[in-house]
Order: sequence, then structure tokens, then C-alpha cells
Amino acid sequence: MKPKPTYAEKMQQANREAKATVVALVLTVIVWIVLGFGIAPTGIEVFHTPLWIITGTVGTWLFAIIVAVFMSNRVIADVDLDDEPEPDAPEAGDSHE
Amino acid sequence: MRPKRVIRMNNLAGLAGLVPVVVFLVVALGIAVYSRQRAARSAQGGFVGEYFLGNRSLGAFVLAMTTIATYGSVSSFVGGPGQAWQTGFGWVYMAGVQVTTLFLLYGIMGKKMALVSRKLGAVTVIDVIRERYHSNALANAAAIIIVVFFATTMIAQFVGGAKLFEAVTGYSYVIGLVIFAVAVVAFTTLGGFRGVAITDALCGIAMLVGIVVLAWGIMTAGGGYEQVMQTIAANHPEMLEPLDAGGMPIGLYFTQWLLVGVFTFCLPQSVVRTMGFKDVKAMRRAMVLGTVIIGFMMIGVTALGTLSAGVLTDNLAAYGGSVDNIIPRVIVQTLPPWLAGIAIIGPIAASISTVSSLLIAASSAIVKDIWLNYRNPKAHVQESVPSNGTPGQADRVYEDRIVRRVSQAMTLFIGIVVFALSITPPDLIWKINMFAFGGLETAFCWTLVCGLFWKRATKAGALLSMIGGTASYCVAMALGFRLFGLHQITIGITVALVLMIVGSLATKNPDDETLAVFFPER
Repeated sequence: MKPKPTYAEKMQQANREAKATVVALVLTVIVWIVLGFGIAPTGIEVFHTPLWIITGTVGTWLFAIIVAVFMSNRVIADVDLDDEPEPDAPEAGDSHE
Repeated sequence: MRPKRVIRMNNLAGLAGLVPVVVFLVVALGIAVYSRQRAARSAQGGFVGEYFLGNRSLGAFVLAMTTIATYGSVSSFVGGPGQAWQTGFGWVYMAGVQVTTLFLLYGIMGKKMALVSRKLGAVTVIDVIRERYHSNALANAAAIIIVVFFATTMIAQFVGGAKLFEAVTGYSYVIGLVIFAVAVVAFTTLGGFRGVAITDALCGIAMLVGIVVLAWGIMTAGGGYEQVMQTIAANHPEMLEPLDAGGMPIGLYFTQWLLVGVFTFCLPQSVVRTMGFKDVKAMRRAMVLGTVIIGFMMIGVTALGTLSAGVLTDNLAAYGGSVDNIIPRVIVQTLPPWLAGIAIIGPIAASISTVSSLLIAASSAIVKDIWLNYRNPKAHVQESVPSNGTPGQADRVYEDRIVRRVSQAMTLFIGIVVFALSITPPDLIWKINMFAFGGLETAFCWTLVCGLFWKRATKAGALLSMIGGTASYCVAMALGFRLFGLHQITIGITVALVLMIVGSLATKNPDDETLAVFFPER
């Protein structure tokens, strides 16, 4: 059976997740620019609506949902949030109390 | 003199608008009180942990909805769409940046704040800041900044909600204000964080219903979607361009990305929600659910503002000279009174949910972070029992009773002050809201981000960053000073970052005890 992650390992995982989120943000900004400002000069219209309006708003939203699903399923790991004392070493945070 | 029949009709229309709002508020209050009473019976932690954080028990749906409802305010429902009526689809495109807010908050802060706050037994964001930097001065400054900027935001909410109420029901602005004030203070005082979170979820649902109802009204009154778009294209073709023929400069896009996109994950009223969920699974689900809902809400409601231009075709002066009047006007003009009453529940719910969340956070800043800490410097650790904490000792019951009374009295007091300040309404709700957003982001961004992710960050750096950054932001706002024509958030956030780095590098490393909690991997 896989041993439970220590507090330090959980915090390291949280750091990785934060970095991945920043990458996700950068990608979303790029997608937002391309789907909005990028499409606007084409002048294409759909249902009396310039295409950039649909892609720049709904398109970016759909991309953000894909990002959220990916992060939720592939990046963010389920860990027990409550702190359990480790068998071999006392938790440093205990000295606060 | 008006004929009696007309007066009676107006009264009936007003009543038809009033009844759905009052029914909604009574139901929401009932749920808030019931949920907290139920929780109080089974609570393991003390009053503080339950009242201010709901004993870390939020599930995915309530977590997503409370985050969205706190963040999405009356500004999103009235001020923003009103501006979109004037500016066009560029404003909708800009509102779309808010789809990032939920995954940024949970992805960057979520797990780390959850782990650290449980480790420390922290109940508020300021608890975490105090433990990270070991500075009462910093914690007190943070509490004052929270109270001031939250009060500013709350005033904007009250004003927006009451103006809308006045326009739709015909009852006076002050009556609207009184109804909101009573509802909000009752939700918060009686319901606590848990009650607020649950009513937030209810408010979120009401917001979604409001959007759908209003969309139907605009489409019906405007002769269908195609006709509405043709009217806009004929009257204002520039509204179909992303830059609105110069009305939407690139600089505005850039600063709105910072204000309502990138830096929203530092807003303390959002961050505290990452300390309240029950497990990672709840957070993961809230991330997906929240991103779906916030996109629908923010893009949807702002688009309705622009589409209103297909119905309200006069110039701004014809609508009272303020874009804040557009949504109330379009509701009244496109919907029958009873449906207008349902449609305004959305923005009113947005207003109430934001105020109630801010009120509880402002109250916690004073009671928990200043008063309790002054009474007992270790209070933030000893009295905030984690979710798996043991039942309290004998004097804990007595202590809880005092804290309960003071917390509820403080919530009531702040509510009354905000109410009094709202009686004379300021203009342009979204600008007031953006001012407060910018101030809070400047104050808390680097203090929280560096506190959690940069082990070299020190007390001196955080103090300089929070106080210097906020001061420079406020001064720049007061003087109207801008760099490259950009919103003053760019000045505040840059000054705050520079001061954090310089102040931290000029002083010695944090102690090992602190690093062991915040950077155990080092």
C-alpha cells in the first residue's frame, strides 16, 4: 500500500499545482487574445453576430472549463487536509501550540 | 391630481415587484438560521470556528456558489452591464476574463491555504498572515484595510440594490435600503459564515434565474435576437468592434485583466473560502462547477447589458444620465411587474450575498483579529479549534458566550454604519467597486503570495508592501495620477511588489519554526 504523503510532500504538491495554474492562466490569456482580437479582423458574421464576439467570450469560457476539468482531474491530487502527526518525526508546527 | 385608478394600478405594480423579493429574503433568512442552529447543535469546534468559518465543512456546490456570489456583486449585475449598454460587446469580451477567477483561486491558494490554516488552526486570512510574519502591526493594518475597503464595497452594493428596488417597485430608495439592511444584518448576525455561505448559494441560483428572465424580456421587447442585433448595428456599429472605435482602449483591457482576472485570487473575501471547504474533492468539483457558472453569469449578464441597446435606443441623458439606470430601466420596460419582481431578485441577491460575506469578514477582522488577539495574544491558535478538535473546556463555554455577543454586536454595528453611509448614494457603482478591488488586491497580493510561496519574505517586507502599496494606490487614485494611462492598480501592485522584495532582502530570514509550517519541503 502506498504510504500517506507527509505534510511536506502535500505542500510540495500544492506548489506544483500553483505553478500549473499559472501556466493555465497564461494559456487562457493567449486563447482569449487569439479568439477575440485575432478573429475580429476577419469580419466573419454568424447569426448577425460578428464571430469574434462568440469566440472571444463563449470560446474563452469553454477553454476555461476545459482547463478547470483538466486541473481537477489531472493536476490537483486528493490528499487528506487534516494534519496527521508523522510516526518518526514530530510536526514542527506543533511547537506553535 | 392623478385618478384613483392609476394610483391603485401603480400600487399594485409596486406590490407585484415587492412580493417576490420579500418572499425570497424571508426564505433565505429561514434557511440561514436553520442551517446554523442545526450546525451549532452538532458543532465540535468553538463559536469562533463555527461563526466565522462554518467549521470547514463546505461542500463543492456551496463552495462554488459562495465564492461566485461573494465575488459577483451588484456591480456585475447593474454597473457593468450598464457600461456594456454604452460601450458594446468589447465590454462583454472584457467581462469574459472573469472565467479565470475560480481556477486561479482554488489552483493557487486552495490547497496551500487549506493545509496551512488547518495546521495553524487559523480561522481568518489575517490569522495566517499573523502566523507567517509574526507581526501584530501587520495583522492590525490588514484588519483596518479590510474593514475600510469592505465598507466601501458594501456601500456600493447597498446603493445599487436600493436604486434597483426603487426603479422596479416604485417604493422609495430609503425603503429599499431599510429592507436590504435588515435582511443582510439578519442573515449575517444570525447565520454566521455557514448561514452566509448557504444563502450565497441561494442567491447564486437567484442570479442565474434573473439572467434568464431578463434575457427573455429583452428578446421579446426587442423583436427577437436578430432584430436586436440589427438595431445595434444600425444605431451603433462601433459597438460590434472590440475597441469600440476608441471607447475601449487596449490599456483598459490590460488593467481589467489585472483587476477582475489575475489578482482576484488575492482578495481576502475569496481567500477565506479556501479555508472553509471540507476536502480536496469538494475543491476540485467547485473549480469545474464554479468556472461553468461564473462564465454563464458574467458573460451572460454583461451581454444582456449590450443587448439592451436594442431596446433602450435613446442617448444616456434620456435615462437619467447614469449607466447605473440602464438595467433597472430595461427590467421595468421589458417585463410585466410580477416578472420584474423575479428578475430583480438576481441583482438584489448579488448585492445581499456580497454584503453579507463582507460583513462577516469585516466583523471577524475586528473581533477575531484585533479584539480577541488583544485580550489573549494566543487566541488565534487556542480558540480556533480545527475541524477534528475536541469539545471545549468549562471556561471555553463562558468565553464563547462573550465572543458570540461581541461578534454579533460588531456585525450589527458595521451593518448600521454602512447603512447610514448609503443613505446619500454615490454615482457609478462599478467604479467604486473597482476602487475597493484594487485596494484589497494591492494590500494582500504580495503579502499572501510571497507569504505562501517565497520563503525569503519577511515581516518588514510584508509591512512595507501592504502599507506602502495601499498608500501609493490611494494617493494615486485621489490625485487621478496614472502611468501610461493605466488604472492605478498598476502603480499600487508594482510599488507593493518592489517594497516586498526590498524590505525582505534587507532583513534576515524568517525563523525556522515559521518555515517549518509554511515551507516544510525546504
